Amino acid sequence: MALNQAFKGREYQQITFPVERDRVLQFVDAVGENDPLYRNPQAARAAGYPDQLAPPTFVTVLQIMTSGQVVLDQELGLNYSMVVHGEQEYDWRRPVHVGDVLTATPVIADIYARGPNEFLVVEADIKDASGETVVVARTTLLSRGTARGADA
Amino acid sequence: MTAKVRFEEVQVGDEIPALAKIVRREEVKAYADASGDQNPLHQDDSFAHSVGFPGIIAHGMFSMAHLVKAVTDWIGDPGALRQMKVQFRAVVFMDETLVAKGRVDALDAGTRTARLSVWAEVDRAGERQLVIKNSRADVQLA
Repeated sequence: MALNQAFKGREYQQITFPVERDRVLQFVDAVGENDPLYRNPQAARAAGYPDQLAPPTFVTVLQIMTSGQVVLDQELGLNYSMVVHGEQEYDWRRPVHVGDVLTATPVIADIYARGPNEFLVVEADIKDASGETVVVARTTLLSRGTARGADA
Repeated sequence: MTAKVRFEEVQVGDEIPALAKIVRREEVKAYADASGDQNPLHQDDSFAHSVGFPGIIAHGMFSMAHLVKAVTDWIGDPGALRQMKVQFRAVVFMDETLVAKGRVDALDAGTRTARLSVWAEVDRAGERQLVIKNSRADVQLA
């Protein structure tokens, strides 16, 4: 089933995400990071940061939370079992740290087909409590073999 | 709060130290729990088989996190990583060795920034497979 082109530009619900120390440590362990900036608040403060940092790709946690709205949207028509992550882009303005309260509003930036596959581009401008952009995330999901006319 | 690599130390063509790790099932499970991405494609072999893979695959973001680590280990400060854009082009199976690499492609003296080509690869039956390719990172040097 092909994706609903009318969903280009659709904005989903804003999600708020407080960055908690335990969650950061769990992520740091999972990706095998050993930099003290991610593990020790004193080390981070000594380097001039307000608190222990989260690794640059930590915001994927927030994206996974927001992406549920998109991938489960029946009217959009994504078959999640056929989806793989095609591309990822981050534009970081500053590192995320413990104590940040982040918000993100996912928007469908683009939907297009190339050959048998379809591509869904979701953008999220991730901001801190003061409304400043911390990181812009742009995710391209690839839906395998679902373009109209493909032998899916 | 500053990169450990000075702009003057870097030349176009320089490679950053390669970073290798063996991808273990327990780590991919830990990543699923830490990221919240519980897609069975990364945990359930029979599910992975049903959608055309011989076994579970690592999350794309698992590989990207490793590539980011290669870059930030080199510059010495995660705050110096300004931008990264990656394409996931091949899957990673369990027990494969994922190697992250990068090379300086361009330098800007005005902003003291470098643009790197970055990629990640595995050796599969003697053939190099590019897991992440056509990708780049922008870093702020000291």
